[in-house]
Amino acid sequence: MTATASNSRRVHLVQGILFWIFRLATYFVLACATYIFLDIGIKGSRTVFTSTPPFINVPFLTEPPQTLYVFDYEGKKMALSDRQFRQWKVEHPGTEVEASSIAYSAGGIWPCIVGTALLVIGSMILALGIGISSAIYLSEYSRNGPLIRLVRIAILNLAGVPSIVFGLFGFGLFVIFFGWNVSLIAGWFTLGLMVLPAIITASEESLRAVPQGLREGSLALGASKWQTIRKNVLPYAMPGILTSSILGIARVAGETAPIMFTAAYAMKDELPWQVTRMTDFFFQGVMALPYHIYVVSSKIPQNEYTERVQYGSAFVFLFLVMLIALTSIILRERSRSRLSW
Amino acid sequence: MEGVADPRTLIPERTKSRRAQVVIEQAIKAFFGGNALVAVIVLALITIFLFREGFGFFGQNLANLRLYRQAGLEYVDIIRGNAAQHESLSRKLSEIRLREVRVMEKRNVPLEEINAALAPFDQFASAFSDTAENLHGLVSDLTDQASALKEQLFARAELLAQRNQLERSGAQTEAEKIVVPEVDRAAALARLREGSARFESVSAEITAKLYNLLAQAPAMPDPAGQKHFEQWKTRARKYLAGLPAASEKLRTWSPDTPIPWYRSISSFLFGRDWVTASFWQDWYGIIPLLVGSVLVSIVALVIAVPLGVASAIYVSEIASRHEKRLIKPYIEFISAIPSVVLGFFGIAVVGQAVRAASQSHFFKWVSFFPISERLNIFTAGCLLALMAVPTIFTLSEDALRNVPRGFKEASYALGANRLQTIARVLVPASLSGIVSAILLGLGRVIGETMVVLLCAGNRIAIPDFTQGLGAIFQPVHTMTGIIAQEMGEVVRGSTHYRALFMVGLVLFTITLAINYLAQKFVARYRMSIG
Repeated sequence: MTATASNSRRVHLVQGILFWIFRLATYFVLACATYIFLDIGIKGSRTVFTSTPPFINVPFLTEPPQTLYVFDYEGKKMALSDRQFRQWKVEHPGTEVEASSIAYSAGGIWPCIVGTALLVIGSMILALGIGISSAIYLSEYSRNGPLIRLVRIAILNLAGVPSIVFGLFGFGLFVIFFGWNVSLIAGWFTLGLMVLPAIITASEESLRAVPQGLREGSLALGASKWQTIRKNVLPYAMPGILTSSILGIARVAGETAPIMFTAAYAMKDELPWQVTRMTDFFFQGVMALPYHIYVVSSKIPQNEYTERVQYGSAFVFLFLVMLIALTSIILRERSRSRLSW
Repeated sequence: MEGVADPRTLIPERTKSRRAQVVIEQAIKAFFGGNALVAVIVLALITIFLFREGFGFFGQNLANLRLYRQAGLEYVDIIRGNAAQHESLSRKLSEIRLREVRVMEKRNVPLEEINAALAPFDQFASAFSDTAENLHGLVSDLTDQASALKEQLFARAELLAQRNQLERSGAQTEAEKIVVPEVDRAAALARLREGSARFESVSAEITAKLYNLLAQAPAMPDPAGQKHFEQWKTRARKYLAGLPAASEKLRTWSPDTPIPWYRSISSFLFGRDWVTASFWQDWYGIIPLLVGSVLVSIVALVIAVPLGVASAIYVSEIASRHEKRLIKPYIEFISAIPSVVLGFFGIAVVGQAVRAASQSHFFKWVSFFPISERLNIFTAGCLLALMAVPTIFTLSEDALRNVPRGFKEASYALGANRLQTIARVLVPASLSGIVSAILLGLGRVIGETMVVLLCAGNRIAIPDFTQGLGAIFQPVHTMTGIIAQEMGEVVRGSTHYRALFMVGLVLFTITLAINYLAQKFVARYRMSIG
């Protein structure tokens, strides 16, 4: 008896230790992520927030990026943006200073925010249009057959294609073959097709969650298939579709590789709506936040002058994407706990 | 009777509207069906366009390789190989010296004494590298000759192509206006091949001098150093013994030996060099990039698999309900962190931290520490692990949760405790699901671009595996990284441009294969639970 008792105590101990290891592994992952959020959050908020009203660094959010000039003047270290530097030169005529320039490190990120917003809106409209339509076909019309199997296999595999391959594809098809060049519309199509599998899967899941009885009732009353879908299926599936699609927005906004050579410019002086012709709007490259972060973290050195724009843009970008993701997760958790049928 | 309409007038109208309605319904169905086909079309288009842009690579690369031989670049590279060997031996000598200095510094020997003790060795080393002077001179002379010839041949080929194109489009007179200069390849090559004789005399000189030098090599002050030095001597003798073989190779080398077509493919798939925009010769070998991608993924998975699977087991079996409700969304939340932000974090924080850790006293016992590059395989692997954990976690947790309750209950009923149930029942039952989760994690990691582009160090070289585990602290370049970095700068239609598309195609194939495997495992998992 004592042997079994000590044995069981040992087993208990081993179990306890292993469970603690599992617990530690889990919390280690959470701690790593938290550290990233805190590091970028704290260092980035130094750029984005100010200690005086309005507490938000408005110029950083509303100005285009500029080159920063750093120089010594009368024993003081001066760091001026391009525009300030030119003004300073006018105010101090005759003074020669040796200024070293650091690209992108002054000014703000307004054009990048605008560009990312435009890219997200366009590609999501595209992806939602195609995605919901395909999901309706797959869940409402299709019968199992070789073609539908092919479609499903394609969707599964498309979901695993690396984003850089989508970039290459978009470059080959839209930029070169269609001759759209580096443009907003090429970016829309590339990003839209990239999130398509996620949107289709999410939409189909929501459509299938609508009880069969709702369809049958409608059909029994003499409604046609399309009437049934439009009046009795889509309205109930739509919240679910949109909720799951928000995560797609986070992905579209967060990807850099597909837009690197299809839509993004490192620097552009005009804002997207400053075009002479309407059609030019679609065929212009834009600045985008993720690409801007790539540029400022790899093309300029790491020092106290560049940290401002690096952490600032990373913070704004992370904040926006995480806000979108959080919305999606919260909405989904709520809809899960409020199962209506 | 008046209130009832004539049935004959009603029926045709109804059928007409019916028919219209049916047509509309059909059209709507066709519209949705067409949209459903988009996924298939896109997948097909991706394949087509990768091929379309990439396939010309093999022809262009073959021409590139043929020019390499015809212009005698290959010939010069045989000699250059020997010069490089000599240089690497010289470098090895300075490494031996560095090690020796470190050993003596540890014994607190003052610097003057160290230098005095190593003076004969230094003399030997400088004498050794001096012997190669003529060899280097020869290489640089021949390099100039060969590149001049290559330039001429290349220019001629361009003009010929231009003329042919004009002729084909019917512009005879304009075609005739293009003067294609004759290149006296035979004479140029003959001049180049005078190098054989020069090489022979140079190598005879080197051999004589070095054997002489080796005979009077100084002894090292320290036995470990002596051992390294002896190893070096064997290598040096091997190098000397190889010189006659090189002369032989030079003598038998012929610029007109044909290069078979498959060399273009094999030099891409098995080539160990990726050299572009070089004045000498471009090489497009995918091996360094592939090795880089694979190493980074292995490091990432070694970190992510234990963490991901452990947290999946924890959340699905051990955690309380409150913990579950917090942890699951949080890990999903992690998966939404944009990769470029992770990459930036790697540059700004992780790289420094890894290097600082390698310099600390705590890790003094590790032979390959301290590391010199802060951006390396390990840095990128750590960050990629954080991207792979959510994927592995979510899918493994799903698989564990989908094990039927009966399995667990039966196990408890037989007297098993929780740990036994987890280890012997739940994990085996969901194993194929977990494996497919790991495979999908691998797919995500190997296709990830921004993190490796920013954090893997971007040095195109196969890591030095002689350092053992130290290899994972060396910088590499990856398949995704090279596309992202070089695509923006290449000339459209050039060999380099097409090579990048080929790399994309390889990447695409690898991810499709991984995806296929993952689906296979999921199918098995469904069956096993039945």
